[in-house]
Amino acid sequence: MFKKYQLVFSTTVKEYFAYRLNFVLWRLRMFIYLASTYFFWQAVFEKNITFGHYDKSAILSYILYVSLISNFVFGTRTSDIAAEINDGSIINWLLKPISFFRLYMAKDLVDKIMNIAFSLFEVWLIVYFFKAPLIAPKNILLASLFFINGLAISFYVNMMLSFIGFWTTEVWAPRFVFMIMVLFAAGTYFPLDILPPLLYKIMIMTPFPYLFFMTTRTLVGRTDGFVLFEVLISFFWVIACFFLAKRIWKKGNKSFSFWGR
Amino acid sequence: MSRYLRIFLIFSRFSLKTTFQGRLGIILFIIGKIIRFFFLFMFVFVIFSHSRGIKGYNLNQALIVYMTFNLIDTVSQILFREVYRFRPLVVSGRFDLVLVKPYHPFIQILLGGVDFLDVIMLFPYLGLTLYLIAIGGYLYPGKLVLYLFFIFNGLIFATAFHILVLAIGIITTTVDHTIMIYRDLTSVGRFPIEIYREPVRFIFTFVFPIALMTNVPAHILMGKNQGNLFAYGLVFSFGLLLISVYLWQLALKKYQSYGG
Repeated sequence: MFKKYQLVFSTTVKEYFAYRLNFVLWRLRMFIYLASTYFFWQAVFEKNITFGHYDKSAILSYILYVSLISNFVFGTRTSDIAAEINDGSIINWLLKPISFFRLYMAKDLVDKIMNIAFSLFEVWLIVYFFKAPLIAPKNILLASLFFINGLAISFYVNMMLSFIGFWTTEVWAPRFVFMIMVLFAAGTYFPLDILPPLLYKIMIMTPFPYLFFMTTRTLVGRTDGFVLFEVLISFFWVIACFFLAKRIWKKGNKSFSFWGR
Repeated sequence: MSRYLRIFLIFSRFSLKTTFQGRLGIILFIIGKIIRFFFLFMFVFVIFSHSRGIKGYNLNQALIVYMTFNLIDTVSQILFREVYRFRPLVVSGRFDLVLVKPYHPFIQILLGGVDFLDVIMLFPYLGLTLYLIAIGGYLYPGKLVLYLFFIFNGLIFATAFHILVLAIGIITTTVDHTIMIYRDLTSVGRFPIEIYREPVRFIFTFVFPIALMTNVPAHILMGKNQGNLFAYGLVFSFGLLLISVYLWQLALKKYQSYGG
């Protein structure tokens, strides 16, 4: 049953090795981003002992773990779907006896593995050359739970963003807004729990913190109170995104005219 | 010169028409840009207001550096947006059609796609920058003239970097990532360069002269005199511009043309 998806997996790997320069340049961008964020926070702690309730080692570990986890969670090929819908080539997939969702899960897995492999090396460079005080990962079981939920939410949200292509050709703008929201509301720049308590409580009701903030926060040992509530909310978003993505997919298929085919 | 201005205005009019083809896109992109600006502004605000100053920069000074970066970045986005669309021209061979036109190719591939969405963002940026300068007590005509002069110098850096991206685009057909690498590198200039440690500070001052491009105008304004840094800023900008034009000419000789 899974043989066809294994084939998709191996073909996608070959695609990556065909466009090596593209991938290396992409990783260079990610490394510049990681290094600049890391050095920024390092400078903040030259005068301060703590920031919010984070000390230097906790925040620098947070930045490094976020880099690793977000690279895996956000490794995706689903943005290709919108172009496939717009140029009509998606029909080539729809005519085949495969699940479209599983097809993109297989493609995403390649992207995630490639990204995490490079990301591990980049984080190692920072830890080794700049003597980063990396905290050993804690609460691994709970973090794994948040991690799996984050993967699912990311996958279905990304699918939905591409399904917009069924109704409009302006598919890049919604993704742009989503990526900007992720940059800030998912905890890429800073841990969200340094925000004022009311704002933080509002934020954790949205799906963004469950993408990688909760996983990272748990790994650096910052889980205090309300964990059950946060687990439940993350499950709510997984289920909601799953059903919403399936529904949009069905609706999109019905309204799609397979332009030019 | 007036002929080039006329051609530039024609391209800008086309660009305006193209932009307004996608109304949903306009709204969402502007919302995205506002959210990004607001969040980063708040980020600088939270960090510097919690930290009793970092490396001699108080909150107001850090915000002026951030706004100066935004001004240079936004004007260069307005002017040089067409660079982002250069790759398909090279890959398809349609760049031939640009080269045979009786004008310099830069007027089309560098300046030919004015981004009007960023024009909308520029005015509030200008207002906020002036407000921060005023409450910081730096509102002196002499300093303002120098500040504007070094912002112009920052734009020369930006021009040089964009020409470099075009040249690399011809040689390697890679544009999308190189232009985004430029964006990522310049984003380091959102914050005062002094906060970074050596050798990072040296790299971003002299190897990729982002500090000279985005920080120097604010330094001038705030009287943070750093010896030869201003002179370096001028020498590096014109030097980089000359090098990038030279590399562009070299790249043109490598261009394989349609069917090449």
